[in-house]
Amino acid sequence: MAQTALTLKKNDGTAANWRTWLGIAPFLLFAVLFLFLPSLRLFTASFTDPDGNFTLNNIIQLFSEPFIVNAYKLSIQISAVTALGGGILGFLMAYAVTVGGLPRSLRSVLITFSGVASNFAGVPLAFAFVATIGRQGFITHILRDYFGLNIYDHGFNLYSFAGLSLVYMYFQFPLMVLIMAPALDGLKREWREAAENLGATTAQYWLRVAFPVLLPSILGAMILLFGNAFGAYATAYALTGGRIGIVTIQIGAQIRGDVLYNPGLGYAMAIGMVVIMAISLAGYSWLQAKTERWLR
Amino acid sequence: MSYLSLTNVTKQFGDTVVVDSFNLEMEKGEFVSFLGPSGCGKTTTLRMVAGFEVPTSGTIKLDGVDITDKAPNQRNVGMIFQAYALFPNMTVAQNIGFGLKVRKMPSEEAKERVNEMISLINLEKHAHKYPYQLSGGQQQRVSLARALAIRPDVLLLDEPLSALDAKIRVSLRAEIRAIQKRLGITAIFVTHDQEEALSISDRIVVMNVGEMEQVGTPFEIYNFPKTQFVANFVGSLNNADAEVVDPANGILAMDGVHFKTADEGMKNRRKGEQVKISVRPERFSFAVEPLKDNVVESTIENITFLGSVVRIQISIGSTKFNMDTFNNPFLELPAIGAKEKVMCSKEAVLVL
Amino acid sequence: MSFWRRLRKFPFLSWLWLIIGALYFVLPLIATLEFSLSWDPELPLKAYQRAFEDNDFWETFLYSNALAVATIVVSVILIVPTAYWIRLRLPEARRLVEFITLMPFVVPAIILVFGLIRIYSSSLDVPFTEIELMPPLTNFKMGTNILIVAGYTVLAMPYMYRSVDTGMRTVDIRTLTEAAQSLGASWFTIIARIILPNIRSALLSGALLTFAIVVGEVTLASFLGVDAFGPYLFLIGQHRAYEPAALSFVTFLLTWLAMGLIQLFTGGQGQAAGAH
Ligand SMILES: Nc1ncnc2c1ncn2[C@@H]1O[C@H](COP(=O)(O)OP(=O)(O)O)[C@@H](O)[C@H]1O
Ligand SMILES: [Mg+2]
Repeated sequence: MAQTALTLKKNDGTAANWRTWLGIAPFLLFAVLFLFLPSLRLFTASFTDPDGNFTLNNIIQLFSEPFIVNAYKLSIQISAVTALGGGILGFLMAYAVTVGGLPRSLRSVLITFSGVASNFAGVPLAFAFVATIGRQGFITHILRDYFGLNIYDHGFNLYSFAGLSLVYMYFQFPLMVLIMAPALDGLKREWREAAENLGATTAQYWLRVAFPVLLPSILGAMILLFGNAFGAYATAYALTGGRIGIVTIQIGAQIRGDVLYNPGLGYAMAIGMVVIMAISLAGYSWLQAKTERWLR
Repeated sequence: MSYLSLTNVTKQFGDTVVVDSFNLEMEKGEFVSFLGPSGCGKTTTLRMVAGFEVPTSGTIKLDGVDITDKAPNQRNVGMIFQAYALFPNMTVAQNIGFGLKVRKMPSEEAKERVNEMISLINLEKHAHKYPYQLSGGQQQRVSLARALAIRPDVLLLDEPLSALDAKIRVSLRAEIRAIQKRLGITAIFVTHDQEEALSISDRIVVMNVGEMEQVGTPFEIYNFPKTQFVANFVGSLNNADAEVVDPANGILAMDGVHFKTADEGMKNRRKGEQVKISVRPERFSFAVEPLKDNVVESTIENITFLGSVVRIQISIGSTKFNMDTFNNPFLELPAIGAKEKVMCSKEAVLVL
Repeated sequence: MSFWRRLRKFPFLSWLWLIIGALYFVLPLIATLEFSLSWDPELPLKAYQRAFEDNDFWETFLYSNALAVATIVVSVILIVPTAYWIRLRLPEARRLVEFITLMPFVVPAIILVFGLIRIYSSSLDVPFTEIELMPPLTNFKMGTNILIVAGYTVLAMPYMYRSVDTGMRTVDIRTLTEAAQSLGASWFTIIARIILPNIRSALLSGALLTFAIVVGEVTLASFLGVDAFGPYLFLIGQHRAYEPAALSFVTFLLTWLAMGLIQLFTGGQGQAAGAH
């Protein structure tokens, strides 16, 4: 008797469970149709040759075709440089308005500004920078007319690595501000005072207490910034018109028309990007687990 | 010469004077409490000693050296915070060793010191745990050990027990006092809890909105409060209006009932002057021996059972008083509305 | 406090970082504004006038706005019941759904559109037959509209889900639901009449963020070949000088407006986006 009641209950439980999952079925179906199937299609296509047979050639070429390798290198470099540069500037600004002793009111101004700037990307951003430090840009003229410095004579080019990095930084460091400001708020004043009280200098406090405490947030932010730049397409395309060989631009060219004479290679490039992003996210969660062991 | 001295220390934030002309001389090894309601400037005073606030005027000297303007990390003053303030990214041992590490103490010696501190606070089993794995009481003990590890000249404790629950509060304060005595360390203990201050201090500074009201031993503070504020803040108190009848012999009248007081200040008062008198509830008792100075007729109004103490509300004339008597199983309590004679000594009647 | 003491406490470095950052923020804006006003000294607003006179501008801009609205509606219909169900009945699905909503960080827009095109540019047939279930979506206007709104919904998912979930956490939807159920309300009534109004500020911030992402979006729009505002801006950027600057500045003001509203509605808890 007791046993039948038990089994009944169990059956009931699984049936209910199965039906409960139906509640999120529309969402899952949507994700499958418009996120997973497209990704999966690229994945399988990158292992297929033009005749439809299985091949590893595309993947091998990914590592051997110099211009693809260079595209990845360039993308990774730009992403790393702007994540680092934007990360440092954003961190310092977030520091300034949180624990840096600036008036409280500046904080909300900066946060709103950062919200705007981190969303100000793509074509308008490219135009803004052309108007700023393009050949006829505002700053270019000021530097030339008042400081006698023609940056274009000194090898600067807005449509190059340095130029693109400068533009990317515009949405990178506000993102860092948005992530780091709450994290810096989490630093308790007492920690600093306790450290000072025990004889630590400001540098020692930052090195041994504040920085380790912030490290998980910093790592997370850096990964986000890296991915933010790595996946960026519109800004680079609008700025250079496709003349800079980063991965996203190459993939764009591949979608427009088969410039590689091998569609499988285009798919493989796309999957390569996904893999790099996935690896960095996985690396992040691993690092986070290591650096956060003192958190609950 | 005293070991730690604060002379005319004043602190202003903008236009508000938060600490006004604070003067204190402390001997080496002395345990002094700052007692006062929240917002009266206790923390600010302590933070000036630690160096986190710079006095607007006045000087602070430690062992004869003026430290008023010294940076906090140059002072060798240990501080314990209400919210523990342990570094979350370090284990118990690393927290305790932090001050030694930044002072670049050789690691062998530092390790020894850390172990010594850990056994001082009896947390040997938890040396490698992180703060979040400890209870509040344990965390505060670690914070004590961390402050003591650097062998500070002065130990400052800012309401270290107020985040803990009642039982731990009592046992930890005894532990703090025992350790302080054993190490002979000079300590300032900030609290708004009078019982805490009375139970562990050599001397107490009672503060009220930036001013020092009275400095004295717990015995003096409790039994001979100098101001109405101190009398009210420390222990509970009955207050009543009275009129001076005979200044020379210390006779007062309250609602026509005469009281005798031993208060020194009475000699300087005029006959007919209106004064406030205060009597602590436990100084009243039922009149069993007729020799006491003041024996008066009263009516029992209410009886409240408080555990170890029974509080009886009585009225003398039209004034209501509380009277505390120790609880015991054989206590015979009067009925409400009954008339009873109560008494108190003339020393118990304070004129403020 | 003496002058020197005060000077020592003055946060020079903090001000320095803030000023460097502030210059980075505003110089491009000033430059854009200055350039957009410099077409004709007689008629400072000429660039704006010309830009707004262009019919294509209005068409593409309105179209992008319509896409944004459609995306917001689809996101809400998809995400609110899902987040609600997870909080209420299916906490074990939380990790899975959170993982899915974070996928757009791993699969950037350019990859997503690549995949969408490859899948939906051929017809969906019943396997091993010639019977067509669905024509290639990329071949007709409605089909591309469906694709692009779906794509935008995916891109907006991280922000929408986060906003909605946070909103639901703060209003304790379980108690609200039980109270409504005890009064005999149906599921539809509960969601439409009780849950939605109670998370409206979270919804609004998610919606505005979605709006900011969609209106200027270029990648999906240009590869799916729709005449949206992003590609239009890109196109006139190739051929004209002053109007693009004017429109860029207007876009900036719109973004500012959206973010300002988010700040207003969320009390400073605004979030980051990133569809670049
Ligand atoms: N940094 C500060 N700026 C302005 N006012 C302060 C500051 N620190 C403390 N105060 C004020 O000084 C008064 C005393 O504070 P505090 O010393 O913390 O009191 P306590 O510790 O006795 O509760 C309070 O009214 C408080 O508001
Ligand atoms: Mg205090």
